[in-house]
Amino acid sequence: MMESLPKPLLKIMPQLMLQQVMCSALEVTINKALSLNINSNERLNSLEEKTLAVKLAELGFPLCFSINDGKVLVTKLIERADCTITTSIKTLQDLKKEQQLTELIKQDKLDVEGDIKIAQHFASLAETLDIDWQTELAKHIGDIATHKLVQFSKIVKNKVDLAIEQIQADSSEYLVHEQRLVVTSSQLDHFNQAVSAVKLQTEQVENRLNQLFERLNIHT
Amino acid sequence: MSSQEPNHQENNSNNPHAENTTHFGYKTIDKDDKVSMVAGVFHSVAAQYDVMNDLMSFGIHRLWKRFTIDASGVRPGNTVLDLAGGTGDLTAKFSQLVGREGKVILADINSSMLNVGRDKLRDRGLVQNIEYVQANAQYLPFEDNTFDIVTIAFGLRNVTDKDMALRSIYRVLKPGGRLLVLEFSKPEHELVNKAYDFYSFNILPKMGELVAKDGDSYQYLAESIRMHPDQETLKSMMNDAGFEQTSFKNLTGGVVALHKGYKF
Repeated sequence: MMESLPKPLLKIMPQLMLQQVMCSALEVTINKALSLNINSNERLNSLEEKTLAVKLAELGFPLCFSINDGKVLVTKLIERADCTITTSIKTLQDLKKEQQLTELIKQDKLDVEGDIKIAQHFASLAETLDIDWQTELAKHIGDIATHKLVQFSKIVKNKVDLAIEQIQADSSEYLVHEQRLVVTSSQLDHFNQAVSAVKLQTEQVENRLNQLFERLNIHT
Repeated sequence: MSSQEPNHQENNSNNPHAENTTHFGYKTIDKDDKVSMVAGVFHSVAAQYDVMNDLMSFGIHRLWKRFTIDASGVRPGNTVLDLAGGTGDLTAKFSQLVGREGKVILADINSSMLNVGRDKLRDRGLVQNIEYVQANAQYLPFEDNTFDIVTIAFGLRNVTDKDMALRSIYRVLKPGGRLLVLEFSKPEHELVNKAYDFYSFNILPKMGELVAKDGDSYQYLAESIRMHPDQETLKSMMNDAGFEQTSFKNLTGGVVALHKGYKF
């Protein structure tokens, strides 16, 4: 069962027009991303005047993506949808891969009504989306500052990764050796082997007992 | 709010000269004068209209208009009339949604507003399926059964004879077509009402004075909102004009309401 938005939030959404806020934010973000895409957006041409409606289990309303003159319009106008897909936010990430569509339908994670080719075109459009963040940043703050910032962010990322690794190692050592709250993998293996041995012995005893009962029944 | 504020609803039944008079904000004026007086207001504010809209509503007017689009059920190929369309916010969206086969007509009684709207839309590259018509909502210059959708956003309260305008809209709608009226209305809660009054009569005219250099026009705006029929009254006016399945939806606590009615 998929989690939906809390009921009080669903109730006040129309009053606060959160649905319109969401559509508006999505529209701006998608069009900005498309304008920054380093790959060609020519796939948009095949989607001209087509509408894909996405019904997410977590949202109480549909999101409809219409293409007009190379721009994406996000509305709630489901009446105009050429293709409607019903899915969850979790599955959306997998939708990026065009070839995954059939697999997701088989797994009942995705329901498609209408022209599936439109959903495939949208999926492949998302797949080709690639933004050169460094170039975009350089336009605003200059090449040198961008280079320095990227180098700095790489160093920070490495340090953060290292710190996370260290914290994980330290905490597992603390839990295993100092607090003895958890066991090591070798101890766990040893325990599993012991359980298997006990199981085997129990089966052997069971067999012996069965044989003895059979003999007893013959004699009586 | 001023203590001299007349009744919220526009009701001239007790006035012996009611047939010839109407309201211009809180003033009672001759019906023949209203068009020119409203025109004066909009000629004055046209250039700063969009900036003022964003400032006055804190940008929320964009969401109200988006809500209207979502409620319109517009499809590719539809013919849409954006009446009192002003600077073309709704027209821009409808133009993209009706596609090449569809058509949007931006109509406004005020030439200054129409010019600002036309320049804005052309600058955005929206030229293919938009026509511009200077028209009075009471006497729409279109054939019967022409439009799939008619919208009038923040315009009806400025019309001299609203009943006549609604009948005129009904005439030009196709059977199955729908009218959407987006207009300021009466807040649902008294607290919101009080805060809204304070904002409208104390802050709004000052903002108008500062930005558009015209406080009087924004004083008129506040007064005209209070004189506009409330949600239920407008709904019954739409019913009287012939619309069916009429309904309204309050937005932002009733500060604005979207009325919808069908012609069958």
